Amino acid sequence: MLGRDGVAGLACLVLSLGMLALTRGLPESAMVPVGPAFYPRIVLGLMAGLSLLLVVFDVRAGRRGRVAVAKAAVAPNYRLVVVTFTTFIVYVVLLPLLGFRIATVLFVGGLQVLLDPPRSARRWVLVLVIAVATSWITYLAFEQYLSVLLPRGTWTDF
Amino acid sequence: MEVSYEHLFTAILGILHLKYLVPLLLGTVAGVIGGALPGITITMTIIMVLPFTFGLDPLQGLAAMTGVYVGGSAGGSITASLIGIPGTPSAVATTFDGFPMTRNGEPGRAIWVGVWAAFLGGLLGGLFLIAATGPLAAVALEFGPWEYFALFVFALSMVAGLVGTSITKGLLSGAIGLVITVVGTDPIMGVPRLTLGTEFLRGGFPFLPVLIGIFAFAQLMSDIEKMRRDGGAEAAGPMPKLWVSQTKVLWEILSRPFLLIWSTLIGILIGVLPAIGGSAANVMAYDQAKKFSRRPEKFGTGIPEGIIASESSNNANVAGSLVTIMAFGIPGDAVTAVMLGAMTIHGIQPGPLFISQHPAVAYGIYAAYLVALPLMVLVIAAGARLWMSIITVPKSILIPVVLVLCVIGAYALNNIMDDVYVLLIFGLVGYALVKLGIPLAPLILGLILGDQIEVNLVRAIANDPNPWLFLTRPISGGLLVASVLSVVLAFWQHRRARLRGAQAEEEETDF
Repeated sequence: MLGRDGVAGLACLVLSLGMLALTRGLPESAMVPVGPAFYPRIVLGLMAGLSLLLVVFDVRAGRRGRVAVAKAAVAPNYRLVVVTFTTFIVYVVLLPLLGFRIATVLFVGGLQVLLDPPRSARRWVLVLVIAVATSWITYLAFEQYLSVLLPRGTWTDF
Repeated sequence: MEVSYEHLFTAILGILHLKYLVPLLLGTVAGVIGGALPGITITMTIIMVLPFTFGLDPLQGLAAMTGVYVGGSAGGSITASLIGIPGTPSAVATTFDGFPMTRNGEPGRAIWVGVWAAFLGGLLGGLFLIAATGPLAAVALEFGPWEYFALFVFALSMVAGLVGTSITKGLLSGAIGLVITVVGTDPIMGVPRLTLGTEFLRGGFPFLPVLIGIFAFAQLMSDIEKMRRDGGAEAAGPMPKLWVSQTKVLWEILSRPFLLIWSTLIGILIGVLPAIGGSAANVMAYDQAKKFSRRPEKFGTGIPEGIIASESSNNANVAGSLVTIMAFGIPGDAVTAVMLGAMTIHGIQPGPLFISQHPAVAYGIYAAYLVALPLMVLVIAAGARLWMSIITVPKSILIPVVLVLCVIGAYALNNIMDDVYVLLIFGLVGYALVKLGIPLAPLILGLILGDQIEVNLVRAIANDPNPWLFLTRPISGGLLVASVLSVVLAFWQHRRARLRGAQAEEEETDF
């Protein structure tokens, strides 16, 4: 059974070997003694070697019996991590469709509610104010003063 | 390359113009707040402020970045002293005596001893920055591609070897950073590499979205994991009295000149060396101060010596790091890697030719650094109460806002959504790497140095295909031998620590 390091090493090994295979189709250079595949093969070889080493160390550690380690006092809240990632992915998808201003209000408001659900009317107002203010202030600062054009929505043209 | 004091004086006068002073001041304010916020590091603060500087001219942008760096290094001491939680890793040792001093009823003294020690350490570090960068850059001017290649490899091996609890994972992290840079168009022939035939990958992964994705998500998601544990915000108690006699505090520091100078030297030296940053400097300086003290048993009870050692060293460390960036173009740790990235985005390529090719910008950075120090004191003096109330903002509010700034930072680079998708991809990668226990600093360094390593390697081989030149040229050979030795030494140290059972225990997850 592989431990965390073994899994990390194996994932990196597969990735590096896959990428090494992709370097086979690269052309040689007529101008310099080394072509475009020369350096990628070195770094991918290095990555593959180190990944393999990590797997070997992990397997050896497994045979010796892994050191029992203390778990965190409270289990990490992975549910909130998944919620945040999902909300962020939805935000990134909606950005070019709804435009920066609308998508940002929805994202900042929505994520605040998901991370810490409001329990009073005052808190709901605060969530709304922060969502609108974040969208408005960043839009104003970047578009008006810093000459950075933020995404417009193809659905809303806003 | 001698220091031109005329240039320096002109640059200081220039920085005092509102055009530069305003970004420097705003950067310092952001740095103080970011540094004081537990969970928001200086690296994160620089990442968040960077997009606001895109529309500015290079010196305005770099002044803002310098302000963040200086303000952040000192800001960490506020929370370290008042609530016992270091705002940044570089203020860890400040908690050892700062917080006990606060509990002894002297919160104002704890803060101001830290602030003035940071100011004086930073000032002495600044003198070193100005005096040493030119001569070191002149040495680096003699370097050919062999030496540059070896120097970059040395920096990477040092960082990979010294970061984290496993040297294999440190080296692997550096290798992953290098691999990210080979995707996209080859810098010599312009051939697309490893792009899977897509246009999306043809330009490679842009540095900034990768950096923001990896760092921001790794940190924010780790904070979110703990959210139900700490309630998201520090409990706001009654605001303590923070004002004390400044002359008395200054005398407390100046009456200990050896401690101040020794701690500053430690900070500078650690800053100059790749791999070990402010987080190590403050602890090492604290340890040294304790060893040299006539009353070591008093350390940890709330004495000023502990705060002086920690704060003077971590601010001098900033100057030391800037020397390495400006003279060699090498970042020492994650914070300086981001600083270097910020310089590159503003069209400045730090390195040996930087001072001679861009003297106005180089002296502008010196000037910004020197002016940022008194600004930092003023910002903390004017707003200590306000900063304390800001740091109690719940994470459920802070995190969505920070994520929006991350998106803007990625998008504003080229005004395309592709960069936001890169941010998202590397956000997932960054969090996965943290969960797999792979340190991020070597990856970022590999990401920054990857192109330069390749270009110098190919250039050296194109000049002379004899590979032995890398070893027979004295500087190049010396650096490569030092790289191998640093890795071997790190292996040996890890092995010895493991055998002694002193290695920190890691959380282990079986799949």
